[in-house]
Amino acid sequence: MALLEIRNLHAEVDGEEILKGIDLSLDTGEVHAIMGPNGSGKSTLAKVIAGDPGYEVTDGEVLLDGNNVLEMEPEERAREGMFLGFQYPVEIPGVSNTYFLKAAANAIRKHRGEPEVDAAQFLKHVRERMQLVQMDESLLKRPVNTGFSGGEKKRNEIFQMAVLEPRLAILDETDSGLDIDALRTVSHGVNALRSPERSFLLITHYQRLLNYIVPDTVHVMVDGRIVKSGDKQLAIELEESGYSLFEEGSAA
Amino acid sequence: MMEAVAEPKSVYLQDFQARDRSAEPAWWETRREAAMQRFEAAGFPTRKVEAWKQTRLGNVTQEHFRPAPAPGSLGGAAEQRLAVVDDAVRIVLVDGILDTGRSDLERLPDGLRVRTLAAALQEDGGVAEQHLARHADAEPHPFLALNTAFTTEGTVIEVTSGAAPEQAIELVNIMTADSAGVASWPRVLIHGATSSEFTVVQRHEGADGAAYLTAPVTEVIAEANCNVRLFHYVDEGDSGSHLGVIHATLDRDAQLYAHAMHAGGQRVRNDIYVNLDGPGASATLNGLYLVHNGQFSDIHTWVRHNADHCSSRQLVKGVLEGKSESVFDGLIQVAKGAQKTDAEQENRNLLLSPKGLAHSNPRLEIYADDVKCGHGSTVGQLDEAAVFYMRTRGVSEEEARGVLTFAFANEMLDDMPLASLQTYEREALISLLPGEETVRKLL
Ligand SMILES: Nc1ncnc2c1ncn2[C@@H]1O[C@H](COP(=O)(O)OP(=O)(O)OP(=O)(O)O)[C@@H](O)[C@H]1O
Ligand SMILES: [Mg+2]
Repeated sequence: MALLEIRNLHAEVDGEEILKGIDLSLDTGEVHAIMGPNGSGKSTLAKVIAGDPGYEVTDGEVLLDGNNVLEMEPEERAREGMFLGFQYPVEIPGVSNTYFLKAAANAIRKHRGEPEVDAAQFLKHVRERMQLVQMDESLLKRPVNTGFSGGEKKRNEIFQMAVLEPRLAILDETDSGLDIDALRTVSHGVNALRSPERSFLLITHYQRLLNYIVPDTVHVMVDGRIVKSGDKQLAIELEESGYSLFEEGSAA
Repeated sequence: MMEAVAEPKSVYLQDFQARDRSAEPAWWETRREAAMQRFEAAGFPTRKVEAWKQTRLGNVTQEHFRPAPAPGSLGGAAEQRLAVVDDAVRIVLVDGILDTGRSDLERLPDGLRVRTLAAALQEDGGVAEQHLARHADAEPHPFLALNTAFTTEGTVIEVTSGAAPEQAIELVNIMTADSAGVASWPRVLIHGATSSEFTVVQRHEGADGAAYLTAPVTEVIAEANCNVRLFHYVDEGDSGSHLGVIHATLDRDAQLYAHAMHAGGQRVRNDIYVNLDGPGASATLNGLYLVHNGQFSDIHTWVRHNADHCSSRQLVKGVLEGKSESVFDGLIQVAKGAQKTDAEQENRNLLLSPKGLAHSNPRLEIYADDVKCGHGSTVGQLDEAAVFYMRTRGVSEEEARGVLTFAFANEMLDDMPLASLQTYEREALISLLPGEETVRKLL
């Protein structure tokens, strides 16, 4: 059974259909990439999977381990091992990064019937994970994402993922706007977490990311539909030909 | 429409005339008479009076509140909360009546004199005769006038020149469950001599269920270079009304730090008047109102720059729960000669429910040309994107809302210079929040 199974997913916002029938199957341990032009619905897909109440699912299914995710609150999905790295991470003034992580880790542990984190052990774990993404320790005490640079915000997403150790990580354009050094660091963080027990859905605009994180499968999304899937070669073709090929194809 | 032909005497004028005034000095009687006349001439404000148009006085103006014949009995919870500030000089009023047994006026540090109002009135040519009702009473405020007319209980605090007592003075005002129909008129006069430095905490707390009125007036005179810290905490009962005044007059280089928190009460209004009368004086006014479902809270500030080179900072935040209402009405007035004024005012409101209603009225009256004045005001709801972000990390919706609300309000408590009161106020904040347990771990 696939870890994530999406069947005929339709979703709309303010009465406008954005996702027009998505099918996707992601096995445990796999890395899939979704590429597509601006406005094709990539972030919408990510948010619908994560449970953003701003979107309405009008048809279809999303299953995690065969369980219907659409009936779960966003926090239940997270506790079941789902993680969404935001394209635009949200600033939370007045709430420190450390506190936030601890609250998240404890919520997940509680759900699994485990005791709360031990403060010292947790700090050690957090420090290790910071090194993985070469994040400055001073960011721990700062309010979540508040006043962070674009790159710091993206690193912080990967850092949170590394601390929380999800089974399924959906990373929405974590590579966008990063310089090559930051991209290497972020990719290193992701690669270090790749394991047979963990799956990734990478949403990206740029083929460049896939030089660093090599996907098992690449999907092309245009106008709310997956119009083509293939191996990493597809990403390279895309970079050369652009999306127009698929846009025309889908119109025909 | 026909005008009413003859206004009958108010019940308060009748009470005033029936009072026993034999023990009071003539100068005080004169000031009381003047105040009573002011009240009688203006009456209670209708909603046509600009300064009161958004204040929900409800039946406060119809009821006839009278001083309690004797204090009611404190519940166990109130007994527990008599002393909040560590190592303070403490005066306790129960239902508006001095409770000598629970007060602690021993061990007064050097340079600090604290007396009851009754004792201070007996001193010829003393601080009361010089200052009492000579500053605040310039303001046209109905409850202030009534306080001057009726107060019998209160505190007179004097700090001598250069003194900086470490102990804070904690004035505790408790209204018991027996206080239905009771009027409490506590009066506080604070005189800080040149270069003195001190802290006064006033707490007003009341039991639920009793419809009482408390209308405290605090008059502060800060001489040159004096540094006053005032904390005002209000948590009245769910049927209690609090209509209070803080009035400060600052001479040159004097500094006022005032921190007001409204944690509860059916209706609470505070008018904070600050007259910056000497060059270089400065005032910081921090306010936080937490308004529970069905309650009303109002902070009116009146900051007047009457001299050059003065600065003022006002930051007032509000959190409104359920169907509740608040008013922030803030004046910055810069007189003609008050050049180089630096004044700022900000009011931020968070509505936890679409049924909340927050009024925010900045008022700037600027008659000088070389000044820096800024103001801002917002009324908003929790950032839904932030709520969702937290939920995608496993935090429940309730906890996310609690944490975000706490973070918003806690800014007002974060750098409070009095740790024991800070802890106390945080508890009041946390107990209002959803997801209490998680928020507690923030600390
Ligand atoms: N909350 C919203 N309200 C209104 N329209 C929305 C909302 N979210 C998405 N849309 C619309 O849905 C379409 C898809 O948006 P989405 O953000 O999913 O695209 P994307 O593929 O992630 O684009 P990008 O590459 O720019 O990140 C766009 O037309 C967008 O304007
Ligand atoms: Mg997007």
